[in-house]
Amino acid sequence: MSDLVGWADEYFWGAMVVLRVFAVSLVLSVIIGLVGAAMKLSRSRVANAIAGAYTVVFRGTPELLVLLIVYFGAAVTLTAIAQSVDPSIKFIDIPPFWAGAFAIALIVGAYMTETFRGAFLGVDPGHVEAARALGLSNLQTFIYVRIPQMWRLALPNFGNHMLSLMKDTALISVIGLEEIVFVAEMATSVTTKPFTMFMVVALIYLCITTVITLAVMALEKYANRHLEGSR
Amino acid sequence: MNFDVSLVVESIPRMLEGIGLTLQLLILSSAIGLVLAIITLLMRISGKWFLVAPAAIYIYFFRGTPILVQIFIIYYGLPQLEFIREGALWPVLREPFWCCVIALSLNGGAYVSEILRGGVLGVEKGVLEAASALGISRSQRFVYITSPIAIRLSIPAYSNDMISMVKSTALASTVTLLDMTGVARTIVAQTFAPYEIFIAAASIYLVMAWMIQKGFGLLERRMSRYVKAT
Repeated sequence: MSDLVGWADEYFWGAMVVLRVFAVSLVLSVIIGLVGAAMKLSRSRVANAIAGAYTVVFRGTPELLVLLIVYFGAAVTLTAIAQSVDPSIKFIDIPPFWAGAFAIALIVGAYMTETFRGAFLGVDPGHVEAARALGLSNLQTFIYVRIPQMWRLALPNFGNHMLSLMKDTALISVIGLEEIVFVAEMATSVTTKPFTMFMVVALIYLCITTVITLAVMALEKYANRHLEGSR
Repeated sequence: MNFDVSLVVESIPRMLEGIGLTLQLLILSSAIGLVLAIITLLMRISGKWFLVAPAAIYIYFFRGTPILVQIFIIYYGLPQLEFIREGALWPVLREPFWCCVIALSLNGGAYVSEILRGGVLGVEKGVLEAASALGISRSQRFVYITSPIAIRLSIPAYSNDMISMVKSTALASTVTLLDMTGVARTIVAQTFAPYEIFIAAASIYLVMAWMIQKGFGLLERRMSRYVKAT
């Protein structure tokens, strides 16, 4: 345990990086999920095909591979663009933080798309018709009728996607983001105590995932409070 | 910068050399994982606290931490412990391949046991009541009535889990193994053509995921043939 003393603050800042990646990718993946679900439910064949291809590709490709494509692909593209402007530039890459957050958001967004699509379909069409009959606009129907009913239905799966998003953040250490797995690797090379160091990483993740699970449980209870009387 | 299709065509045969390792990881880990899952499931539904508690802790730990970290704990971490280095299992735990198999099996076992538990809980109460009314014993009820129904109910979730397992095998490349992703990363390091090579690799994974999905779809249809089509 004494080996850990000097590394506490490194782990703390590493955990902060993890939480920042989590927050950024969560917001991005929810946006992607909502857009994807809207495209899948739209009447446009083109939108259906694009969203369908997107979910198939990103749910069937390993997370690590997506991350590598985004990171190295962006580097190659940016370098090529930069060199066409100024030939003296040798190499440009994007920060691992943004490459990682974006790659993870793309993967989780594909799962969110499916979840949101199912949840939107779960809203009673009669309610939507009633809203129309009362003269609500499309946007009003979306905000006041569809969203409040849909998020309850999406919540259990949404919670699971948040957990896998959180665990995917560990992969970003592969492209050199200084988060907790990276800290553990550094700490290992100094102290030669890999078991201790990686166990700490596991425990930090366990704490975060526990908090997420509890939060989702509380939200589910809140979401279904109108059903309690009937049970 | 342009997309070089010939590079994709050239790299696919090299990557298919890595597919053997990927498939070995997949088959061994999912088989061992399934055995672990069944043991854990039986412990969880036994109703005895000294069996339920260890199973619950195991599931909690392996579902709450990233697989990458689990692989690192087993591959880099375990050699720190004296009794591992001197133990009988050291020749196995020294190999990155077996470390990956162990990590993936333990991880898969935790997830699959929850899937199977969902299946068992999904079996209709009336069916079990009918069975006990017919005088079928508890263990017979589990083998002949609960299991077949629970297996059918678990198949969709299990097929998703197999696809996750395929995707997880890519992590083997982080502990020096040359699976498909490992080969792809080597080729990218030589050619620096990330789009072509990684997209070629991704398409092989996609085909594998698609085959698993189709295969389990057929299995599910076959097992549900007694259910009236709705």
